[in-house]
Amino acid sequence: MSRPLRLGHLYPRAMTIYGDVGNVCSLRRRAEWRGIEVEVVPIEAGPADLEACDLLFMGGGQDRDQSGVFADFAEHKRASLERAVDGGVAVLAVCGGYQLLGHDYVDAEGRVLEGLGLLDLRSRAGDDRWIGNVLVEAEASMGLAEPTLVGFENHGGRTHLGPGLRPLGRVVVGGGNNGEDAGEGVVAGRVVGTYLHGALLPKNPALADWLLAAAVAHRDGESTAAPLPPLDDRLEAAAHTRAVEIARAERGRGPVARPRGARRP
Amino acid sequence: MRPDPRLGAAVLAGKLAATASRGLGRGGGTTIPGDVALAIDPGVLAKLGAALPRGSVLVSGTNGKTTTTGLVAAALEASGERVLTNASGANLVFGLVAAAVAQARPLGGARADRAVFEVDELSLERAVLELRPRLVVVLNLLRDQLDRSGELETTARRIGDGLRRLPRGAHVVANADDPLVVAQCEGVEGVVYVGIDADDQLLDGVPHAADARTCPRCGAPLHFDRVVLAHCGSYRCTRCDFARPRPAVAVRRITAASLDRQRLELDDGTVLDAAVGGIYNAYNLVAAHAAATTLGVPAATVAAAVAGFRPRFGRMERLRLHDRELRLLLAKNPAGLDVVLRTADELGATHNYLIAINDLVADGRDVSWLWDVDFERLARSSHRPHVVASGRRAHDLALRLKYAGMAAEQVTVEPDPAAALRVLASRAAPGEEAVVVPTYTAMLELRAVAQRAGAVGAFWEQRG
Ligand SMILES: [Zn+2]
Repeated sequence: MSRPLRLGHLYPRAMTIYGDVGNVCSLRRRAEWRGIEVEVVPIEAGPADLEACDLLFMGGGQDRDQSGVFADFAEHKRASLERAVDGGVAVLAVCGGYQLLGHDYVDAEGRVLEGLGLLDLRSRAGDDRWIGNVLVEAEASMGLAEPTLVGFENHGGRTHLGPGLRPLGRVVVGGGNNGEDAGEGVVAGRVVGTYLHGALLPKNPALADWLLAAAVAHRDGESTAAPLPPLDDRLEAAAHTRAVEIARAERGRGPVARPRGARRP
Repeated sequence: MRPDPRLGAAVLAGKLAATASRGLGRGGGTTIPGDVALAIDPGVLAKLGAALPRGSVLVSGTNGKTTTTGLVAAALEASGERVLTNASGANLVFGLVAAAVAQARPLGGARADRAVFEVDELSLERAVLELRPRLVVVLNLLRDQLDRSGELETTARRIGDGLRRLPRGAHVVANADDPLVVAQCEGVEGVVYVGIDADDQLLDGVPHAADARTCPRCGAPLHFDRVVLAHCGSYRCTRCDFARPRPAVAVRRITAASLDRQRLELDDGTVLDAAVGGIYNAYNLVAAHAAATTLGVPAATVAAAVAGFRPRFGRMERLRLHDRELRLLLAKNPAGLDVVLRTADELGATHNYLIAINDLVADGRDVSWLWDVDFERLARSSHRPHVVASGRRAHDLALRLKYAGMAAEQVTVEPDPAAALRVLASRAAPGEEAVVVPTYTAMLELRAVAQRAGAVGAFWEQRG
């Protein structure tokens, strides 16, 4: 009998904004409904053994909390995260967590906040804040059962991916990474970064299952993720469809911008 | 006062605009007259405020502004004052101007003795500069419609900016239990802290939706001895000397608590018996009491006014519809919805809920906050409740309830408000009270449906 799936929730106290805790809820339930036992491991400040997890989740936070988290991560968790990702641990990083994966974040005053440099991407403060519903066509190579992703973005940061990286998807409605290259988020191996709240995974069960399958593969020491047995996702599909309709009704308006004074994430 | 032709023109035009927009059926004309009057005389609010013999009181904070404003106004009226207030809840500067214009004499003189205004957190500084209030109440800084106001920290700083602009001698009534509020009061003179010291109704830990678990001064974790609501309670910093200040007025005991009634015993012996339930209203009550007594109203007069106070505009109303009793409780953020659900369930008041979630600007366009609400508590309830999920985001709510652990047969998805009310009425037994919890615009829709069925009047027709 296999051990429980270990879901590491990074900084559950500081980095929980815009309902991102719903992602943890989605992963846990969808595993349990399939008879997969789950252990959610809260990971706070200080040294941590991230390789012991099968999946890591980190959300965004309020400014005050986020700079402390960036510093703690760089000091105590950088090496452990690198080993974890090399060993095939799946990662979902939202908003501030996504920015942290890159080289740095340059704020509106030009101050540089060092990131982990795990992925070749950089972020900087934009002139305005993007707030609104987002519709994305997911990266085809992920083979998601439902090819669109829906969510809600609320960020002032602009993220540019290095040449070797692929976005999580192509923006149909909304701002996404930077408003220039139509990209939203990033997918690299089993690592997913994104600006999408919503919470993201409950309304995008195909992506939840993609991450879950990757986590199961890690637990079982498999190099490729096997598809999980299907669930009754009629309600998830209805909520997804409704969110697509609402986002499409906003199409053409572009990202809803808010003037400066708005701050990260 | 000396005649001021520009002010006179602004007031007259504002009054005409109010009449015209009411004629067009535009929601009672609660802000348009403000736009018009400000266009003619940008100084209209400062001038009308200066004409009030007893000045103004401002009430701000994310939850409870409308109820607290109503309570303070009622207490002042009970002491014989003529009070001007923005009863319709229009709490941006335009709304304040519209309310002031509506009561002003045609040339700009005052009919009222004092204004009591609820003010949006982001408008507080401007309202302070124009009205130079004698007292400001700061209730709390709970997570609210983040896509509208940006992050809570920004909102907190804007409140602080307003407090630092207060004229000399002004008072601030502030919630000692909310560390974000207290941080903004540092260095401000004339602060009267209020809080809840009662040991009942306490949570077992800080709910995950709480926003202030780190010290606003130094960033270290806060230690909570008690949590009353969201991040409000008794706290101290684990590193520096930031801690809950000792309240000057505290609630010592809460008894006879129900959805629409509670009895507060304050530590000075005052008893407040009120027709508003829920722990968040205990904060509103003690803040209103402190504000009114600070302004010189005798405690007994405040208590009498509180006893006669009835909440309005969907904060907590009883409706009779399709031969069923409905309680309508506005929920605009996770903390508010949490408390409503907790109170309703603990009291065993109902097994039938209608929760309506819209995502228009006034509701907050982002419904992510549903994942911060403790629906798990409802799912675990021994009453085995049923929820009609309604509104533009009915499916998001239904999904949230599914992941909270509610069974499929405990949830009915019905986006349309009229149909949702019919489902609720068909499920509730005659005589059973059902609980209706809408976001702001969903409340307007549900009220419109109820009004067509003869259950309630339009809100702007209510006494102001
Ligand atoms: Zn401190």
